[in-house]
Amino acid sequence: MKKKLKIYLPFASNELKRQLAYKGAFYLFILVSLFGSFINYYLWMAIYGSSENNILGGLTKNEMIIYVFMAYVTSSIVTISISDWVSDDVVKGTVSMNLIKPIDYRASLIVRATGDMIYRFLAPAIFIWIGVEVYKVHWLGMPFTNISYIFFYLLSCIMSFLIYVLFDFCFGMIAFFTTYIFGMLMAKEALLSFLTGQLIPISFFPEIFQNVFQYLPFSSMIYTPVMIYLGKYTGETLCFMLLRQLIWVLFLYILGSLIWKKVTKRLVVLGG
Amino acid sequence: MNTLKRYLRLYRVLVSQFLKTIMQSKVDFLMGLLGFFFTQIMGIAFLYLVFEQIPSLQGWSLNQLIFIYGFAQIPRGIDHLFTDNIWMIAWRIVINGDFDRYMLRPMNLFFQVIAEKLQPDALGELLVGTLLLIYSLSKGIVIVDALHIGLFLVSIFAGAIIYTSIKLFFASIAFWVKISGPFLQVAYEMADFAKYPTEIYARAIRFIITWIIPFAFVAYLPASFFLKETVSGWIIGIECLIALVFWCIAYALFKKGTSIYESAGN
Repeated sequence: MKKKLKIYLPFASNELKRQLAYKGAFYLFILVSLFGSFINYYLWMAIYGSSENNILGGLTKNEMIIYVFMAYVTSSIVTISISDWVSDDVVKGTVSMNLIKPIDYRASLIVRATGDMIYRFLAPAIFIWIGVEVYKVHWLGMPFTNISYIFFYLLSCIMSFLIYVLFDFCFGMIAFFTTYIFGMLMAKEALLSFLTGQLIPISFFPEIFQNVFQYLPFSSMIYTPVMIYLGKYTGETLCFMLLRQLIWVLFLYILGSLIWKKVTKRLVVLGG
Repeated sequence: MNTLKRYLRLYRVLVSQFLKTIMQSKVDFLMGLLGFFFTQIMGIAFLYLVFEQIPSLQGWSLNQLIFIYGFAQIPRGIDHLFTDNIWMIAWRIVINGDFDRYMLRPMNLFFQVIAEKLQPDALGELLVGTLLLIYSLSKGIVIVDALHIGLFLVSIFAGAIIYTSIKLFFASIAFWVKISGPFLQVAYEMADFAKYPTEIYARAIRFIITWIIPFAFVAYLPASFFLKETVSGWIIGIECLIALVFWCIAYALFKKGTSIYESAGN
């Protein structure tokens, strides 16, 4: 275990250092993605203003404001696109270097993503989170979020992170079959922002879709942790949701291993 | 007249070279198109789900919002198709010293920049925009007469010029700071605000997207002219004026930038 840690830890710390080297670009990236949240915020304000009901999709207006920004916080720490790195490695041929080293390629990617996650948690996420809490108490007049919700939220986030990167690893395997993954990545991002609940809470979908989503891993990525944060899941439901996330982690782990075995069998590397 | 002919011929030659590279990788082309297509469709799906809950959004119906959304895509797509290479000035061409290449040829510099590349991914945006417009037309919510059709064509043309001007302005900053990609990115993303009626935003945001980075004049404001009888056609006139002013500013900055351009190297 100690030896493993020694081997893989540099992947995380290198990623952390790399991110710190390009701070300027990173902050601009945050600003751009915050735009999206603000558009959503104003849109929801107008939507609640036009509605006769105070509750839409099971959420009050104040809860929706928190939902929009916490979904942003969650997605910024959870959605670390390792398929970008996979496609980079494949296109440049450096994947062969990773294959001849006595390390597990996927594990190295996930550890590297963890470095990224820690950085994003420290750099934008925690400040926006504090902002959300201050806004909540000061302007909305709601109490601070219960400490046990925060604990379960963080636990759920860690599993969301694993679900996302394990899923993304499987997705990244497409890079072995085509060289131009840019379009696919865009389509993936668009679809995921929708299916994970980042754009709109899952509870807004028609019943039939919600039932289908029960059997897909996507809602576990963002919707579940944010709902936990809002205190919508308690007792047995909470346990069930966390358990479901755990099952997805295991399932995607096994699926990834199988695909990886298949893919590396037929791999052709030019140069590298 | 002869210069115009010459440039048209040159454009054809340069673009046909580029088309050959696309033909080489048809799958890439399809996937890029699909990516942009999906991104836009999700926006519509979002509106659809929201309107399951409410009858109208501050007086706008779902179909009207779909029209605004689709209308916004067309100038964006036209600009994206023809002038995508401007992004490369912001990110790469100036800092690498690749701009030398353009300086050496006896041709207009801006022409060379845009003639180098067509961006087929933009067809995804144009496709979504056109489909949504056809949908809105079939619902009979759009005003159709000679005046409106004429101004429609003027409006999407002026809208595309506003897009190009904003891009050129922020890309030209690269002549001074070497990489201006991030600034351009922030400015370009502002366009997303204009996909919805601007009345929903706080006053400061509304002011910025109407007068400073005038994306409201590309999408929401002209679109409302085609939806509501009460909106005067002068809004298109103002749009053209803004397009002209912003183009002059952006082009002047670009000119100034090229005059102080220094190549990279040792």
